[in-house]
Amino acid sequence: MLEKQMAGHRVDRSICAWFWDYVLSQGGDPSMILPVIASPTHYLFQLFRDGIIFLACTQVEMPPLMGIEFLCRVADVLTDYLGGLNEDVIKDNFVIVYEILDEMMDNGIPLTTEPNILREMITPPNIVSKMLSIVTGKNSNVSANLPDATASCIPWRKTNPKHSSNEVYVNLVEEMDAVFNRDGILVKCEIYGEVQVNSHLPGLPDLTLSFSNPSILYDIRFHPCVRFRPWESDQILSFVPPDGEFRLMSYRVKKLKNTPIYVKPQLTSDAGNCRVNVLVGIRNDPGKAIDSITVQFQLPLCVASANLTPNHGTVNILADKTCCWSIGQIPKDKSPSLSGNLVLEVGLDKLHVFPVFRVGFRIMGVAFSGLQIHKLDVKNTPSEPYKGFRALTRSGEYEVRA
Amino acid sequence: MFHQFSATAESLSKASSLVLRIGTDAHLYDDPDDVSIGPLLESRFDSEKVDALKRLLALLAQGSDVSQFFPQVVKNVASQSLELKKLVYLYLLHYAEKRQNEALLSINCFQKDLSDTNPLVRAWALRTMAGIRLHAVAPLVLRAITKCARDPSAYVRKCAAYALPKLYDLHHDEDNSSFEELVDILLNDHSPGVVGAAAAAFKSVCPSSLFLIAKSFRRLCEILPDVEEWGQIVLIEILLRYIIARHGIVKESIMFSLSTMSTTPVADGFPTFSGTSGSCQTLVGTTCDVNMITLMCKSYIDGQIECFAQTGCSNSSDDKLDLSLTSSTNDDVVMLLRCTSPLLWSHNSAVVLAAAGVHWIMAPRENIERIIKPLLFILRSCQASKYVILCNLLVFAKAVPPFFSQYYEDFFVCSYDTYQIRALKLEILSIIATESSIPIILQEFQDYVKDPDRRFVADTVAAIGLCAQRLPMVASACLEGLLAITFYESSLSSSSQIDGEAGVLVQAIMSIKAIIKQNPDSYDRVIVQLACNLDRIKIPAARALVIWIIGEYSVIGQIIPKVVPSILNYLAWSFTSEEPDTKLQILNTAAKVLLCAQGADSLAFRKILSYFIELAKYDINYDNGRMHHEPGGKILNGKMHSSISSTKSSRIYLPGSLSQIVLHAASGYEPLPKPCSLLNTDLTAGVVNETNDSDISSGSSIEESGSVYDSDHSSISSDDGNESVNDSNDTESTALAVRNDVQDVREKTLVDVSNVNVCVDDSNENTKGNLSAFISTDLAELMPKLALESWLDEEPGVSSIQTSQQASSGRISINNLNCTVTPKLHSLLDPTTNNGLRVEYAFSYEISTISSMLVLVEIFFENCSSEPIKNIALKDGESSSSVESSDQVLGESESLLRTANVPPVLSTEEIASLDPGQRVKKLIEIRFPHHLLPLKLVVTCNGKKFSTKLWPDIGYFLKPLSMNTSAFIDHERQLPGMFEYSKRCTFKDHIEKIAPVKDDSSIHSDKIILLSQILTSKVLSNCNVSLVCADIPVSFNIDDASGLCLRFSGELLSNSKPCLISILVEGKFSEPFVLTVKINCEETVFGLNLLNRVAAFLQ
Repeated sequence: MLEKQMAGHRVDRSICAWFWDYVLSQGGDPSMILPVIASPTHYLFQLFRDGIIFLACTQVEMPPLMGIEFLCRVADVLTDYLGGLNEDVIKDNFVIVYEILDEMMDNGIPLTTEPNILREMITPPNIVSKMLSIVTGKNSNVSANLPDATASCIPWRKTNPKHSSNEVYVNLVEEMDAVFNRDGILVKCEIYGEVQVNSHLPGLPDLTLSFSNPSILYDIRFHPCVRFRPWESDQILSFVPPDGEFRLMSYRVKKLKNTPIYVKPQLTSDAGNCRVNVLVGIRNDPGKAIDSITVQFQLPLCVASANLTPNHGTVNILADKTCCWSIGQIPKDKSPSLSGNLVLEVGLDKLHVFPVFRVGFRIMGVAFSGLQIHKLDVKNTPSEPYKGFRALTRSGEYEVRA
Repeated sequence: MFHQFSATAESLSKASSLVLRIGTDAHLYDDPDDVSIGPLLESRFDSEKVDALKRLLALLAQGSDVSQFFPQVVKNVASQSLELKKLVYLYLLHYAEKRQNEALLSINCFQKDLSDTNPLVRAWALRTMAGIRLHAVAPLVLRAITKCARDPSAYVRKCAAYALPKLYDLHHDEDNSSFEELVDILLNDHSPGVVGAAAAAFKSVCPSSLFLIAKSFRRLCEILPDVEEWGQIVLIEILLRYIIARHGIVKESIMFSLSTMSTTPVADGFPTFSGTSGSCQTLVGTTCDVNMITLMCKSYIDGQIECFAQTGCSNSSDDKLDLSLTSSTNDDVVMLLRCTSPLLWSHNSAVVLAAAGVHWIMAPRENIERIIKPLLFILRSCQASKYVILCNLLVFAKAVPPFFSQYYEDFFVCSYDTYQIRALKLEILSIIATESSIPIILQEFQDYVKDPDRRFVADTVAAIGLCAQRLPMVASACLEGLLAITFYESSLSSSSQIDGEAGVLVQAIMSIKAIIKQNPDSYDRVIVQLACNLDRIKIPAARALVIWIIGEYSVIGQIIPKVVPSILNYLAWSFTSEEPDTKLQILNTAAKVLLCAQGADSLAFRKILSYFIELAKYDINYDNGRMHHEPGGKILNGKMHSSISSTKSSRIYLPGSLSQIVLHAASGYEPLPKPCSLLNTDLTAGVVNETNDSDISSGSSIEESGSVYDSDHSSISSDDGNESVNDSNDTESTALAVRNDVQDVREKTLVDVSNVNVCVDDSNENTKGNLSAFISTDLAELMPKLALESWLDEEPGVSSIQTSQQASSGRISINNLNCTVTPKLHSLLDPTTNNGLRVEYAFSYEISTISSMLVLVEIFFENCSSEPIKNIALKDGESSSSVESSDQVLGESESLLRTANVPPVLSTEEIASLDPGQRVKKLIEIRFPHHLLPLKLVVTCNGKKFSTKLWPDIGYFLKPLSMNTSAFIDHERQLPGMFEYSKRCTFKDHIEKIAPVKDDSSIHSDKIILLSQILTSKVLSNCNVSLVCADIPVSFNIDDASGLCLRFSGELLSNSKPCLISILVEGKFSEPFVLTVKINCEETVFGLNLLNRVAAFLQ
């Protein structure tokens, strides 16, 4: 447990004990409890991320989303700094965590949350600095100078980054949310996508990105660096990029009709037994390989034992009755299927609850929504930079109800 | 995309975590004190100092107190190493308040750092200096902030803005002008980052000084998109408040347009705005919940308390909002809306929600729809924010369902959602369903019914019922589906009992009942179908419901009257094997059938009924008289209501606020300012005068509106709690506004049997046996048929579904129970340790007349030896020095006491002689150092001294405060949230006390009164409080005491603040009860300690 007192009125650590009691009284699963809790003395905001609970408390009115968003931002920054989130990594780097928290928040008000600037103020741990600290015994991760960006009008960019490289990558990452109902009909299918940019450009470059089919975008959200006017008038993204990797824009495309793969579960139960048969195959060939296909579902509580065998891939049944079937790529010669038998608890004839199958997959090189980047113009750079484009589609909340 | 890489990295890190940990601070965290830290801090090398500080931080992170190193750490403040500085600051901020004197040593260094050339050093110094909270340096900090507010570096100016609230928090007794001046300077800064910070400072330092905004309003709007995201959230709120205060409500917005639609004479009320009727017309086509919007509008502006005063009389004419209006063409409004609309695309969900809130309140109605898509988009963020956003969307959707009706897809439940999110989505879906979307939504619901989470399924079933009630066209389809569920579930539950299945079945029948009620004539076949399947339905609660439906609609249509006799015959056959609840409903139904029957049938029915009554008479579980007089009952009231339509909605707070999520006003919550409360005269000269001054109403109208609120307010306070009268009013307006507090539900169903009270007062142990009969006859008078019917007709959605048997319709409130109070005797001196003097003490119920700090204690001296004991005296056992030390520990309250100059023990004269066997009682007044810490006493006798400790009892730091039930509930309502603490404990004492008298027939019916007596005497024997009332549920299940509620009130001796104790009983007599003890008290620490004490002695 790390504690950072923000406001003058200190909060006693016992609030954490209260919180644990509360979690236990609610069933012990921190991911299932309410994000905003009114305790006897404080209001708590909690965020559960990768096994770590981030807890913030307040006694007075404030926008709860602000609290939660800030916790999300802390979690993001810590993940970014430490290369992952778990108890060990936080313990190992507790000094950095303290320094980051101190920089991110002052007196209960978020101070510097822009990752690029934070990275300048507090150097992230890396192999070189670790080695250095072993060799010399000295290591400072606190920067001696104030990043100039804090003073500029473009707080997300260093004023004068120096790079050996002169390149910018644009990356379309899409997540597909789809729901098939119990009759196998597509109820909802939409794409949540992000335009991720990784820029290593010198000076103060001015970029314009345009799409060939911006009309398919249903909803959008922008990084603060995007200028609103050009988008409103011509649907062009005009921006001065931060240095490094960032999420330029996120978007939603709705009412899609096609899904790349199908999953057909069949459950027939009779006399205390339930036959399971799950078929997986390609519905619409996206033109690129679909890989990392997984099918995951929760066996109903009334299932006493399960015997499931796939004709391709591997099946794992975890202690909490989660069944994971990892397929990988679909082979050319056969269509993968999972079949087997579930034995129900004594006294139950038929299965009356049906699991939901969560499907995971990944398609490299394709943006499934069909969004296409028209062109990317870079102005204000000494020489023409290298530009790279990539796309990726993966499954989001993609589920099939049995 | 680097999935493989990360996977390998993961396995690598697992395998070689040791290797990877080299070079990190891991070893420091694991054994922070493997070397002595002190010498390290004194080291000449910065690196060693850094090492030491890291160790200190590790210890601090692990929760240990390392303040003993403070002096050594403070010295290092002067260091030039930035990392060391940073670590020292972290340490300083943590401990400075504790070690004030040493912390003062660091001030000089800060002063020096403030003029450093490195802006980072200046900023850090300012931040730390303001953060260490030393009163002594407050003036210095103020000077430093003033200086830094004009610093060339924007970062330092930003930190100056952040330092303002810290300083304000430390001392703000003097006038605010210096703060306001600084905020003003910072708000006018040209750097957006500073403006954002200044907005935060404004909000905490001078939130009401809106005139500061006036001069720079336009500039602030323009700069808004460039301000960093966190500042945007705060700044948006400030600008919104300013606009409301300056210009009032926009007449084209939903806030105005719909609130005036509810009161017909729009044009009369606002003759100057006759043009508004045109814009209102556009709304008529869509169905909006006008009451909901009126309520919402009022809640936003008036805050919650006044709002409650008004909802009760929402039908009367005087609730018309006296709003001052402006037009949507007002330049300032246009400006604000224009500048906030791009923020709807922000990456930060909190910014989106804040911007959406502004549009919701200010934008013309036809433009509001633009906020819907962004709001739905931010739903796809983390689970935690999803919940918060849905809570807000629910309010929006309730107010104007058509806005959301086409977006139903976004509210479909997916398997990743937590239960709370699912419940919210279902509620929204059932609100926004329209005739075109309902087929798809119902299709979706059919899928949910097969979900493994049965709690969620029960909610879905309830939502289906709600949809059917809202859209009669699908009612029959829904009914069919619900019947299918009912039969399916009932066939299931016969084979095995699974958790939650019963809930689904009961909920399904409840939904059916609600649909039937809308149009009973057309659903007679459904009723017959249900009746025919009665023997398949095994769950008692569900059976009882079906039987109730049969009784209620026994004369409807052609078929039912024909089948009713055979159903009654069937019931007569099964009566003895039924559960108590069901038996009751059978009696109820038989009585109803008999009342409606004509001719030859009635004779047969009369026979059956008398047969039932005959059976009931010999039923062991039953109190015959009670049962006879209370048809209706719990099934008909509390359990009818679906959990999904809980009435949280009636509490509305500003969109995006914390209060909206926790559903009570969090401290610091401020509703929107009164429209046009900011007058031109408030604005300082030199402000650009707005062109449309004519829109601003005059001051007199504001005063008028103020007085309207005042009178409403007083009307509620004069309400002396005549609950039974208010009931009908409340029930009528429930759809609109009922708090879903258990308290309120209770209040609504509370029957105040005041004349019974008198009887109970006089009754002694012997007459107790008749009491129940007495009560029940009275109750029967109080609950005539009509009242009963009105309960039955109560709208669903009044109260939430209670678990199993908790809610009951009738309640008797008794405020005097004959119970014996036996103060507990504590031993002060044992006769074996001295020469035979036994000293015992008990806390007295009297209140000291000398000082409120004193607690009266009765001391009993008894001579257990065979010889007389001489010169017995009792003295304070603490020397003056120890008092001094305890003073330091106890802080403020203690120092107060010292000034009051009350000695710890106000003793009585000494007892000259005590004969063998003689017992003498003395009354002394004691000032305890703390309500948990003992007082040292010295007993002298026969010239010897025996020191002992007198332990305080927290229950006697109270004095009784008598109030009636409604005053109690009022007080309780004023102490919500953090002032309310509750704890559960089990109670077993009754088992041996009540069980033996079980066979005694005259007493067994009064078990519940006996239980109340036991509990009351327990509380009164341990606390000096008064019983407000004992709420006894009129349960049909005699073995069940669930719902019994005892309320006690007292006030703190020291400051006369009220302290309320309520004890809620759950469980059956045959088993240990589960007691929920709840305390409402403003003194948090005292309250929590008292809670522990009460729970301890009850256990």
